[in-house]
Amino acid sequence: MWLDTLLSGQLLFSALVTGSLYAIVAVGLNLVYGTMRLLNVAHGDLVMGGAYLAYWSLTLLGVPPLLSLWMIGLGGALIGLALYRSMFRRLLIASADPGRVEANSLLLFFGISILVQNTIAWFATPTPRAYLYLDDVYKLGDTAMTGNRIASLVTAAATCAGIWLYLRHHVVGLALRAVIDSPLAARIVGVNVEQVHRTSFVLGFASASVAGVLVSMMEQFSPFVGFPFSIAAFIVCILGGLGNIGAGFVAALFLGVIETYGIALTSLNWRSVLLYGVFVATLLAFPQGLFGRRVRS
Amino acid sequence: MSLLSLNQVNKRFGGLRALTDISLDVEEGEILGLMGANGAGKTTLFSVICGHARPSSGEIRLGGESIVGLRPDQVCRRGIARTFQIVKPFGQMTVMENLLTAAMFGPAAIRRRDRALGHCREVLDELGMGDAASQPAHSLTLAMQKKLEVARAVATGCRILMLDEVMAGLTPTEVNEMLAIIRRLRLTRRLTILIVEHVMKALMELSSRVVVLHHGELIAKGTPSEIAADENVLEVYFGRAAP
Amino acid sequence: MNSTAFDALLWTALLVGFAALPIFGGDYLVGIGLAAAMWLALTQSWSVLSSLTGYVSLGHTVFYGLGSYVVVVTWQQTPLAIALLGAGAASAAFALLVGLPVMRVRGPYFVILTFGLAELVKYSVLALEAEMGVSSRLLFGAPDIRVIYGLMVALAVAATALRILVDVLPFGHGLRSLRENEEAAETVGVPVARYKLFAFVLSAIVPGMVGGVMAMRSTFFEPIQAFDPTISVNIILMAVIGGGESARGPLLGVLFLVILSEWLWAKAPQAYMIILGLLLIVFVLKFPRGLAGWLADWQRARR
Repeated sequence: MWLDTLLSGQLLFSALVTGSLYAIVAVGLNLVYGTMRLLNVAHGDLVMGGAYLAYWSLTLLGVPPLLSLWMIGLGGALIGLALYRSMFRRLLIASADPGRVEANSLLLFFGISILVQNTIAWFATPTPRAYLYLDDVYKLGDTAMTGNRIASLVTAAATCAGIWLYLRHHVVGLALRAVIDSPLAARIVGVNVEQVHRTSFVLGFASASVAGVLVSMMEQFSPFVGFPFSIAAFIVCILGGLGNIGAGFVAALFLGVIETYGIALTSLNWRSVLLYGVFVATLLAFPQGLFGRRVRS
Repeated sequence: MSLLSLNQVNKRFGGLRALTDISLDVEEGEILGLMGANGAGKTTLFSVICGHARPSSGEIRLGGESIVGLRPDQVCRRGIARTFQIVKPFGQMTVMENLLTAAMFGPAAIRRRDRALGHCREVLDELGMGDAASQPAHSLTLAMQKKLEVARAVATGCRILMLDEVMAGLTPTEVNEMLAIIRRLRLTRRLTILIVEHVMKALMELSSRVVVLHHGELIAKGTPSEIAADENVLEVYFGRAAP
Repeated sequence: MNSTAFDALLWTALLVGFAALPIFGGDYLVGIGLAAAMWLALTQSWSVLSSLTGYVSLGHTVFYGLGSYVVVVTWQQTPLAIALLGAGAASAAFALLVGLPVMRVRGPYFVILTFGLAELVKYSVLALEAEMGVSSRLLFGAPDIRVIYGLMVALAVAATALRILVDVLPFGHGLRSLRENEEAAETVGVPVARYKLFAFVLSAIVPGMVGGVMAMRSTFFEPIQAFDPTISVNIILMAVIGGGESARGPLLGVLFLVILSEWLWAKAPQAYMIILGLLLIVFVLKFPRGLAGWLADWQRARR
């Protein structure tokens, strides 16, 4: 009987939806880490921000999420740009001692995360929000799929594909990959590293904000919803190799599969055990931080 | 019996043979120079002796006892200290504190702070660094940091001092100063010295014997003048003479 | 007066203060004193690992939670003293078990690894309890608050003594050296891997016992609460704000935050958290050596 569960289209669909969501959340973190070596633990809060913006767009302005996500994505991009400009000075100061900076930057982003989460909680109260959108059900054989989850899957997949193609074919995308590979070498051959950093930030913030819109369509959320997404993003990035975007997509789907099938086969109790188990195991298996062991994407 | 002897030491990294059948003896009190182009295996040899890497095969004996498989801190406590080509100071600690670590944890093993301070002060004075004792290590110039590397290694109380390109980046005046320091230290501290150097003048002037590495193999051993005339060495460095 | 005499006076005065509190103060003040003693015990222990080696642990709540669990599970089956010692021993054993692989991971990865490890243990205990059909546990016949207070002060003293001891021993100097450069430290004879493990285990013992004592205080055990990640965050906040270079740092950080939270937490919890976030950012950027470092600089300038 559990074999039926295992082979069901329902589970597969669920795994794909979850995996694609993780993919779009993780790609931003991967880009920022890959190019700037900054582990942004506040990344999940961008997702949270996107969720709240989508909620307010719908409830206050009447704009449906599939429309507002363009604006929110753009807004995220602009915020990323502004933050990059203001952070640039700090990076210059911080570049004095790279080793100490990395551990400190984590605490810094942590502080930012606490600040952001609680500021939102202050204005919007900590109660979870949710809304109904596209919740009509479509059936494909035995598999029941709600409209919003289909929309999420399609949007996430399209965004990731877009970023992927950009990295492959556009000149700035190539420059980005060069910087991820070796910042010094990229600089020597004339790559405008500052432009690449800016682009990573912009893409990262935009994709995370869009992910937030998608999350808001499917689940309820609170100011503190970002954190589990940060963790998932980390797992994805580490599994696929920090800076390795393509492998990150695969890792995200893998994580979605583990989580979905894991819960189905055991119970909800074990979901977090699985998630964090994978997390810890991966870090322990790759103590060198993975950069040296990347597979070419 | 030689103080340090290597017998048929090999080191492979996957398919790459970094060291092939290296056999050499280092006699107590001598200064052995190690020569070779970049990639010849000098750094690998240092790593293998000091315990940072394990030889794929072969023997390394210190005072007759095998040191293969020992951790770097264990190798240090047996009496071997080294400097690094790219300096690794304890940046946020003062110069004195840098040396204190060596004095406490090296073969000297001076646990009492006041005695350790005295010991380190002596070493600093010998290197002409007495005034810099309370400066944070990260604030020193490169030349001073290189001296710090040497001072810290000497402060361990080692018998064998391994110097890895300690002259790199120094001006000619600084090179001469370092030469004088090394010569003096050898006498006052009764050191045996293994020195890797690209600055030929320094290598030839200091060493009592020189060995030449090329592609992981030992291609020549002898006194500096013998090496300077050795055909294999000349060929490797300058190419075959025209017929 | 020189530095050592000043320190001796400081710690003695503090101890006297702690001792006098239950005599002259009511239950409310004792509660605050208890909180202060608890955070001091936790932060001093944490600093033995993280301030000295540079391996910042964001998962110290795991030791707290494990200690709580041990006391709760053995409640009224073993004498209290044994249970508390067992709590410390269990934490130390866990640290010993995971320490070697965990401390091969460096920098920011170590930080998130410790966080992940704490969450893993939390959810594992939760799942385990669920499988056994237990959702929470109650303790009956817990000792009076003044006993608990006394135990906690003793733990704070022990943790502070540990930090001071490590600072003066060669062990502490070795830890600081490996913080600066692990490879160089090993080359001058510091047994790096062993020392890291030792620091990790030492930093786990008192937090385990603290967890055990607090289980008695709340008389209620529930895994999500017992392994609360905000405990780990608070420790880091106190250490960052107070400074990590000496045992004085955690003291300053604890006093600062306990006073701040007493003032703000009841009135405006969100504002409190926002201020904490701001403080963390400011201190990481501007005052990396914390209040203690700033104070030390000021003292030096005055001479």
